[in-house]
Amino acid sequence: MAFLELTRVSFSYPKRGRRVLTEIDLALDRDEITAIVGPNGGGKTTLTKLMIGVLQPSGGQIRLDGRPLAGYSLGEIGRRVGYVFQNPDVQLFCGTVAEEIGFGLTNRGYKPEMVEERIQFYLDYFELGVYRNVFPLHLSRGEKQRLAIAAVLANEPLFLILDEPTAGLDAYRKKLLADYLQKIARLGRGMILVSHDEPFVGRMAERVVALKDGRIQSDSGRKGNAAYEA
Amino acid sequence: MKLDPRTKMVMVVCLSGLALLYNTPGQLLLVFAVTVALLMIFHFELSVIGDYLKPFLSLMLFLLVIQCVFSPGGEVLLAAGPVPLITTGGLSMGVCVVLRIMTVAAAAMLFTTFSSRDFILGLVQWKVPYELAFMVSIALRFLPVFRDELSNVVTAVQLRGVELKKVPWREKMALYRRLFFPVVYGTMLKAQQLAVSMEARGFRVYPRRTYLRRLNLLGADIAVMLVCLVSTIMLIALHFT
Ligand SMILES: Nc1ncnc2c1ncn2[C@@H]1O[C@H](COP(=O)(O)OP(=O)(O)O)[C@@H](O)[C@H]1O
Ligand SMILES: [Mg+2]
Repeated sequence: MAFLELTRVSFSYPKRGRRVLTEIDLALDRDEITAIVGPNGGGKTTLTKLMIGVLQPSGGQIRLDGRPLAGYSLGEIGRRVGYVFQNPDVQLFCGTVAEEIGFGLTNRGYKPEMVEERIQFYLDYFELGVYRNVFPLHLSRGEKQRLAIAAVLANEPLFLILDEPTAGLDAYRKKLLADYLQKIARLGRGMILVSHDEPFVGRMAERVVALKDGRIQSDSGRKGNAAYEA
Repeated sequence: MKLDPRTKMVMVVCLSGLALLYNTPGQLLLVFAVTVALLMIFHFELSVIGDYLKPFLSLMLFLLVIQCVFSPGGEVLLAAGPVPLITTGGLSMGVCVVLRIMTVAAAAMLFTTFSSRDFILGLVQWKVPYELAFMVSIALRFLPVFRDELSNVVTAVQLRGVELKKVPWREKMALYRRLFFPVVYGTMLKAQQLAVSMEARGFRVYPRRTYLRRLNLLGADIAVMLVCLVSTIMLIALHFT
């Protein structure tokens, strides 16, 4: 059974007639890196927002871990699936960079020493240590992006969805991010990378799903499937 | 009904003025009801008004609790040992604050029915200094940004795995208090960026700017304005006698 399963999912934004997604069938496992690629406006962001319950499908069904997504609260989804938004500004809300990284853990009752240890680790890894006490929205685009990723990773979710994670990152930071993501993938965490960045996708993804005009145009297939072997 | 932006501004000023003046829950509820009724005349559906006000709810809950706890008076309704927590006086103050904000926020919805360009044009034709007109229009632009921001933050917080609905209210208050200033400040930063990008695209009001279009007050505008102003002045006079 797939971790995340979409069956004939369709969606249109309220008050806009046009369908953004049409009858998407997709099953994703927890142990692989899937890339979702496609032109701007193809519906990639919308599709991932449906997967985490921020938007509700107008038709079809989504199941997470075998249960209908509609039966989960946002908090329950957030603990299973870490989501990094395309625009980091919408997900940074704390007073300092360190608080931002520790937010999820602190509010889920982790011990302060343990939270501190994780904050320190992620500050170091994403080279944000000097900004420890800086107001997150004062950071540059690339720094905000790294912080948003760090804050989600610090929660250690089972599955990750990153929407255009390399936007605003330089080549060196892209490599750091790729290394880290591959490391956690080896630990058995699945992820979806939404990206235009072909070299990044080529290097990272085991499966590539192309989305165009709200439909799946091609799918290299799940591991073990014939399509994947081909 | 297509009214001049200035007519709508007069309405908003009258409604907000009354909301700020009144200080009993009954009166404020009435002003709020009138505001909602007006919005419905302007073809806002009740559900749309609800959606617009919903993101303000957590802020209101916060203010309600603050008011309840910090402005005691009247009978004690709930006490923790010897310490009165909720009193009739505090509760009524809290309800007033919430109704007042809801009224001002709802009245400001009228501003969404015309562009900020028309708004500035209207004010400048009334000899309001253009800097002031521009500033007011930015402040108004700020309100919907702030509302969207609040709903974004509520979503983002939950996606970090926090079960907002199940957090005990004491901790929820502490959380809101901690997030209050960062969110307000962050919104201001964003609104400012918005204003800058508007200017960069050539939207600016110059002192001796000439206007291609003029707004004209029609008979209906003048009638509506008069009704609003006269009834507000009468209500204010009544309030002080
Ligand atoms: N909040 C929204 N309201 C209305 N339409 C939207 C909204 N967000 C995206 N869209 C529309 O949905 C389509 C798909 O957008 P999106 O999912 O962001 O594509 P992508 O991420 O692949 O670039 C686009 O045509 C876009 O204009
Ligand atoms: Mg996108």
